[in-house]
Amino acid sequence: MARSGDRSDLLAAGLGPGPVREQFASEISEDVTWVAAAQDGDRAAFGQLYERYARMVHGVLLAKVPVGEVDDLVQDVFIRALRRLSTLRETASFGAWLAAIARNVANDYHRRSVPEEPLTDDASDQEIQCGTSCADQDEQAIAILAAVMSLSETYRETLILRLVEGMTGPEIAARTGMTHGSVRVNLHRGMEQLRAKMIASPSRTGPEQEKS
Amino acid sequence: MDTGKNRAENRPSTKSGDYLWDRSGEPDPEIQKLESLLGKFRHDSPTPVFPAIVPERRWTFSSWRLRLFPALATAAVAVAAIVVVTFLVYRANPTPTTLAGWDVSEVQGAPRIGRKTLSANEGRSRLGIGQMLETDSQSRASLQEDDTGKIQVDPSTRLRLLSMGSGLKRIALDRGTIHTYIWAPPGQFVVDTPSAVTVDLGCAYTLRVDDSGAGMVRTSLGWVGFKLNGHESFIPAGAACATRPKVGPGTPYFEDSSAEFRAALTRFDFEDSTPGQRAHDVAIVLSEARNRDALTLWHLLARVDDQQRVLVYDRLSQFVPPPATVTKEGILRLDQPMLDQWWNELGFDDISVWHHWERSWAGTATPVPEK
Repeated sequence: MARSGDRSDLLAAGLGPGPVREQFASEISEDVTWVAAAQDGDRAAFGQLYERYARMVHGVLLAKVPVGEVDDLVQDVFIRALRRLSTLRETASFGAWLAAIARNVANDYHRRSVPEEPLTDDASDQEIQCGTSCADQDEQAIAILAAVMSLSETYRETLILRLVEGMTGPEIAARTGMTHGSVRVNLHRGMEQLRAKMIASPSRTGPEQEKS
Repeated sequence: MDTGKNRAENRPSTKSGDYLWDRSGEPDPEIQKLESLLGKFRHDSPTPVFPAIVPERRWTFSSWRLRLFPALATAAVAVAAIVVVTFLVYRANPTPTTLAGWDVSEVQGAPRIGRKTLSANEGRSRLGIGQMLETDSQSRASLQEDDTGKIQVDPSTRLRLLSMGSGLKRIALDRGTIHTYIWAPPGQFVVDTPSAVTVDLGCAYTLRVDDSGAGMVRTSLGWVGFKLNGHESFIPAGAACATRPKVGPGTPYFEDSSAEFRAALTRFDFEDSTPGQRAHDVAIVLSEARNRDALTLWHLLARVDDQQRVLVYDRLSQFVPPPATVTKEGILRLDQPMLDQWWNELGFDDISVWHHWERSWAGTATPVPEK
């Protein structure tokens, strides 16, 4: 019988619990089918891939570019992927391939754009749809996102996928092609660093102060 | 004093770790709070309409292809050289207004093309192929292309220019409202929406798409075709037609029809009703129908079950008798030429325009995804 420590080690080694592993294994098999169909011109199949991977692409971009630009760039990523789909040989690696395109699109954005827009507390810059009643929450959310954005890229991408896009660790691993171990480490270390940032500026980031 | 740092240090790592990892175990309130606050930045856009995928031939390195490789490489170098020279010439003499696209005018507020914000005082702007025009709640703009027509773009709208071929001009309306006045030949101006493809057949119309991807077209001149994976609706002037994701175009109707008629039609088209409820809704439509609602009844022929088709046939015959070449038996088995002949008796336009467009368009585009 496995002890809890053993389970942890298995997870870190990329071998998650059976049902979860089976779920994502079956998704990869679906991906292979959809990619092949899309390569043969089936737009509905590409639509399925969009449904499955849009959050991942959105999160990868959000970790690198201003919030207001992300939606447009998500479309750019999928259009670019659509155009290059015929070049994808390892169809089971569609997620990792798409994540690489997303990171490239974000890099292109920075190469093209003149001074980088800082993440500010100005809600209008962030395209938040919210009335005055939730202005405080918006401010807090922007401050926390700014704290996440100040972390190293590795941590912020994984944390954004988990905390913003609502993906679980196994899902992040399945979608991005990272190992479970890497995702787990990024989540824990990133979360530690985020806590430290929130403690350093509690008035902006809220949750810690609220609980004390 | 209980600070966040103390809690972070004292928190049992396994509990918070499991929740952070896969949301298993006892929920961690701190992470839940972060999820709740940051969730507002989450991706929530509906699936856009993607351009057609042209499948590329998959090459294998068979021996004859390997023999062709030097010739292909030479050709590729030549093409690359032409592209580079063209680019350099173009860069030296940029003439953006001659590029394929739609001129942007009548700008109000601050609409955007990609990341560029437009203003009323600005000179001429152009929406190029692959670019996106987006208006916020305070912005408007108009697009015009001399050979095609004019599109007024309402606030809170997002559209993309997909192609500007000589025989097919194509945009995608992701959300919002456009008013189109098209003078291109019928069938050449096409709008992709998340739930149907709109084909101009010589007309003016308003097309609206909401955030869920549901659409509504209202024709003010000529007629419009609405299509999704073989599900078709023809909407003449004065009529409207709704479309829904996963379902496609509903049955077109004249907007001056009775409220009961329209309500029954909406339930029939889009609600997940029992056969009994559907039969009831069809009965309401038939009893409320007027002479000009022959438009709706003709569309219903292909959408109802065999039993109801007899009732629809009888009612439609009262308004517009079928031509001599059309038999009841043929209509009941949905003989397409007979359906077309009866349509042509309704006094809207010759349906061969649509079939001509369908034939010419076949192979150049794939249907909107049906989920």
